[in-house]
Amino acid sequence: MDPITFSIIRHRLFRVVEEAVITLKHVSGTAITNEGHDLMVSLYRADGSLLMGGVGFLHHLTSAAEACKSIIRRFAGQINEGDLFLLNDPFTAALHTSDIYLVSPIHHQGKLIAWSACFVHVYDIGAMNPGGFAPDAQDIFTEGFSSPGIKLIDRGQLRQDVWDTLLNMVRGPEMVALDLRSMIACNNVAKDRLLALVAKYGEATVDQACLTLIEQSETRLRQRLRDLPNGRWQSRQYLEVKGETYRVILTMTKQDDTLVFDFSGSSPQSKYAVNCTRWASLGGLFAPLFPLLCYDITWNEGVIRPITMIAPEGSIVNCTRPAPVSVATVGAIQSVNNAACSAIGKMLAASNRYADEATAVWHANHFAIFMFGTNQRGGQSIGILTETFAGAGGARTFADGVDIGGEIPNPISRMANVETIEAAFPIRYLFRRRLQDSGGPGTHRGGTGGEMAIVPHDAPDGGIHYVLSGKGSKFPQSEGLSGGYPGAINDYVWVHAPQDADRSFANSLATMPGEKQPISWGVFPLMHKDALYVRWNGGGGIGDPLRREPAKVMQDVVDGIVSARAADEVYGVILNQGAVDANATQQRRAELRRTRMAGGKTA
Amino acid sequence: MSRPMISATLAIEKGKVVCADCGRALADAGQTWKRHAVLTSVPIKDLPGAASAVDARAVLRHFACPGCGSLLDTETALPEDPFLDDVVNA
Repeated sequence: MDPITFSIIRHRLFRVVEEAVITLKHVSGTAITNEGHDLMVSLYRADGSLLMGGVGFLHHLTSAAEACKSIIRRFAGQINEGDLFLLNDPFTAALHTSDIYLVSPIHHQGKLIAWSACFVHVYDIGAMNPGGFAPDAQDIFTEGFSSPGIKLIDRGQLRQDVWDTLLNMVRGPEMVALDLRSMIACNNVAKDRLLALVAKYGEATVDQACLTLIEQSETRLRQRLRDLPNGRWQSRQYLEVKGETYRVILTMTKQDDTLVFDFSGSSPQSKYAVNCTRWASLGGLFAPLFPLLCYDITWNEGVIRPITMIAPEGSIVNCTRPAPVSVATVGAIQSVNNAACSAIGKMLAASNRYADEATAVWHANHFAIFMFGTNQRGGQSIGILTETFAGAGGARTFADGVDIGGEIPNPISRMANVETIEAAFPIRYLFRRRLQDSGGPGTHRGGTGGEMAIVPHDAPDGGIHYVLSGKGSKFPQSEGLSGGYPGAINDYVWVHAPQDADRSFANSLATMPGEKQPISWGVFPLMHKDALYVRWNGGGGIGDPLRREPAKVMQDVVDGIVSARAADEVYGVILNQGAVDANATQQRRAELRRTRMAGGKTA
Repeated sequence: MSRPMISATLAIEKGKVVCADCGRALADAGQTWKRHAVLTSVPIKDLPGAASAVDARAVLRHFACPGCGSLLDTETALPEDPFLDDVVNA
């Protein structure tokens, strides 16, 4: 095939996915999709293997491939032109029940030639807690409906009985219907555009380009792996729920042109919903692998072939049915993301050629707060606080991480405006801003996380309730690299205010009146004059903090990003009347080095 | 030609893992090096910016060069957990 035609087809395939994402957003009506970009669209070959991975949450790219393959097996002989299937069972392929996959076979002249697949986190799934995350769930049976595969559209005709049954099992059926219709529209656009490509270039030519694209990705990733040093890197993540601590342990081994991710040693599966299934772990490790190792390689089946995963059955990263998994995406999956990001970062940092591509762990812990209740218009609202998608960049080997700079597993994640949330829920923000001392210290500092506080406002019921799946308020999770510190930890505080309290202009947790109670897991009220304070984690730092340029430390102090205490104790920078005291800084840094050499004992 | 790296703070010279700053040898190349560094365990709760609910047992392990005090690596850990073992083959 001539290289020009190949290149055009490759770009067109990517544009197909891009346009399908735009369609999905145009039709969907939820903040989690439109604002947070908790979505994914990709194309798959006729056998279900990944052809063109799209943007959105990248841990879905491989899981949706398994969804296509599962549908192919389950519906053998019954897959027709114009069909569309729904799958959301985590023990079949999905990540958790509320991330519904809709997959469409694409036929050309009666022959199955490809699949399109997409997901959104639907408005509700009928779990015991509204919004999909169910911290109270004890098993999969209380996490809403879950289907290992059902035909929703048969030869172009919506199966009304199936549609009505699904919507009969959820809260806010009109919003869930909109979610499902957005995915149907998305798949329709993907199908139309792919068929237009086939019509222009011919099926054989497009198929040959797809095969070449996959071979090219495999060849290029294997070559990149050969360029990297052989070795073994470890990382560890702690999760805590209600006093129980779980570990995700990763040993990543690179040999020649292969990479093995071994999660042996990870904790047994939990009774809480932080577990994830095998397919979810596989997606979890690929989410950082795609952008960190394949930033210039098309994300498809060719990238998957050199990778092996070992995930012990019955562990928190490969749980067995009927373990609860509704919090998986912000639980074990995110820890797998973080562990893989850390190990890959270490491997890149060990290469003269690729050290500039290394990164500390980015925003490592979604706080996933779903609010629900009667809104200011008398209707019912369910929705996520999208700040959980705001993220924080990990430091690079040549620069600081980006403050509130997104996250590795989702290149397009973002948060909504304050006004968007205030319009949807009877709440008011007291403040929302960057969080001091949240970026992991280092020669290059991690990007900051943020902090915010909300209070009830114009609430017919006096307030609202929220579901909190805060499994990560005990341990740092965004690890540093090469001597850099981890980013700060999430925090959730319920401020019990007295009824005569005036917190109208409170601009910090310290100035909010009332008893402050740390919380992390379950359903909580936000009523009357109480407040909810949340802070989210920063990115990890890279390199010894004592090597950071003193002028940068001073600027961070001036900007309120770093405290004077951290400047002194961690960075060894002494400020005097708005300037760096060079001599005092030199002495302080020498003193801190001597303390380190004495094992922490001050001279 | 630049020397082989293990990280921004560690390199390989003459078959040894060395501090990238001062050249102090820590271990044979291809072997674990952390037990030859100076360890300081700092409680996470004592670090600037610590959250209200931090596990009191959690520490940030600092691995420093015994020759110059450069911070070579860190890791979050509970006291009973082993060092993370990163090995770049010689």
